Amino acid sequence: MAPIIKVENLHKHFKVARHRRGFLGAFRGLVSREYETVRAVDGISFEIGRGELVGYIGPNGAGKSTTIKILAGLLVPTGGTVIVNGRVPWRERKSHVATIGAVFGQRTTLWWDLPVIESLELLQYVYDVPPERFRRNLAEFREMLELDQFLETPVRSLSLGQRMRADLCAAMLHDPMLLFLDEPTIGLDVVAKERIRQFIRRINRERGTTIILTTHDLSDVEKLCERVMIIDHGRLLFDGELSELRNRFGGEREMVVYFDQEYDEVAVDGAEVVSRNGKRVTYRFDGHEITASELIGRISARHRIRDLSVREADIEDLVRKIYEGRLLEAPDAG
Amino acid sequence: MSRFARRIRLFVELSRVSFRRQLAYRTANLAGLATNTFFGLLRAAVMVALYGARQEVVGMSVRDAITYTGITQAVIAYLSVFGWTELMDTVYTGDISSDLLKPMDYFTFWMARDLGRALASMLMRGLTVMLIYALVFDITVPVGAWQWAALLASLLMGWLVSFSWRFLVNLAAFWTPNALGISRLIFATSWLMSGFMMPLRFFPDWFVGICYLTPFPAMINTVVEVYVGVLDAQGVITALAAQAMWAAGLIWVSQVVLRAGIRKLVIQGG
Ligand SMILES: Nc1ncnc2c1ncn2[C@@H]1O[C@H](COP(=O)(O)OP(=O)(O)O)[C@@H](O)[C@H]1O
Ligand SMILES: [Mg+2]
Repeated sequence: MAPIIKVENLHKHFKVARHRRGFLGAFRGLVSREYETVRAVDGISFEIGRGELVGYIGPNGAGKSTTIKILAGLLVPTGGTVIVNGRVPWRERKSHVATIGAVFGQRTTLWWDLPVIESLELLQYVYDVPPERFRRNLAEFREMLELDQFLETPVRSLSLGQRMRADLCAAMLHDPMLLFLDEPTIGLDVVAKERIRQFIRRINRERGTTIILTTHDLSDVEKLCERVMIIDHGRLLFDGELSELRNRFGGEREMVVYFDQEYDEVAVDGAEVVSRNGKRVTYRFDGHEITASELIGRISARHRIRDLSVREADIEDLVRKIYEGRLLEAPDAG
Repeated sequence: MSRFARRIRLFVELSRVSFRRQLAYRTANLAGLATNTFFGLLRAAVMVALYGARQEVVGMSVRDAITYTGITQAVIAYLSVFGWTELMDTVYTGDISSDLLKPMDYFTFWMARDLGRALASMLMRGLTVMLIYALVFDITVPVGAWQWAALLASLLMGWLVSFSWRFLVNLAAFWTPNALGISRLIFATSWLMSGFMMPLRFFPDWFVGICYLTPFPAMINTVVEVYVGVLDAQGVITALAAQAMWAAGLIWVSQVVLRAGIRKLVIQGG
């Protein structure tokens, strides 16, 4: 089947006026401005198939939002081709946006001083959703996102988590086949994040909605996505399975062991003692070389273990490794 | 439902919601009403003093002049005479992207919202000011179905001209960070040239001539002249036609400028 999104050699460069220093600089700035080019997106290609849930991650300023805005038809790229669902987004903006949903974490698409329910009901007419369909969707999302307690509250009085839930509902009421989520968990506490993740997962599984999720919170991706794209300085550093990323860069794991008593000698083959604090010892080992249970076996053959925990290297560590260029030669930054 | 019918439906819903929202600002509406009434009575007193012993000035009786101050105070909220910057705010905050993400016509979207706001303002503030005037003064009232119909048409046209003009002015935000300052200057100009501060009839012909080269008289002065009945039937029709032409022209220019503005926005990224 044809991919729902096809991006080839995408570029978006912004011209930013450079500020000059000092009096003379300010004066010259009036006469002729000097511009600097920011390559927000610098040659990206990828394809996304129907029904995928893709994590698009990278640090602040990497170019995530810029990419999403181009895909949503809000920005025209400097170069490259983009086909979303058979359309060039910015050429046919109105018919394009009718088929997508988008949530931008830091701003709401709801009307600021209207009660949530009024904003949502207006969307029925904006997207021309058949009334029956609209009722069904609204009822379902109200339940899934637990909207009832604040449906009558004006959007401006909502907490960030509530607003995000209302916005997710708003983005889905017209049954878009594609959903763009730009930092949907930004600034939320753990409980609110989890609720939103559950919703994203269900939407993707039950409705088959294709979802691109940008985030710089890597636990979002760990919990939701099979496929990950990592972007930095406008370039893709990685595009593949989460598990592949783990395998290539994430073999390293840590195990914290609580012994029954303080032992003098705690070293074992295949693992390195990272830290030691009385009965509590932290080992680091390479998951490719030894499994956690093998290691437990080796330790417990010599000492009595009371409790232990294994920490997966989180993607944050993996990304840092990629950035440091230790395990992947990063393409030269232009 | 046809596509056209659906667009009408969206327009009506947007207006309805905006209407209710405007009604919900009770305190603001009351404060506005009090201010409009107070300054109205003050302006009426000034008119009476200016007229002195004179019964009539260029076709307007002292009664018409008092009524005039009432009408101009009554349309302040209806036409957002003191300025309207909601649209430019969304450009500066970036919230405009939320509106561009919706499959709707951007101009009619704002038009529907402004119509709702204008009608609520007319109800809460405009009509109330006129009722208070009717209680305090012996004001002029349109007579007969024809004059009432002309007044309604003129009021609606006045709003249409005012809205498309305000829309156009707000579009400056696509090109300059100083659209607020520019719009203040323009709104201040409109107070004089629309006949808001003084009936245009009171000014010398050359100045009135200049005013009529702008859309401003079509917003207020025409409404006043139709209301107090200083125009004959022919004059009323000409005045309404002029309003309609200004509205059509401004709507057309807005579309062109809007398209250019959005093109700039999606290329430069706001
Ligand atoms: N409208 C704009 N004008 C100028 N520079 C911009 C604009 N939008 C984004 N940028 C720059 O482009 C780069 C990428 O930004 P963005 O896509 O928002 O990153 P991310 O979403 O990954 O944090 C940043 O350096 C940012 O400052
Ligand atoms: Mg961003």
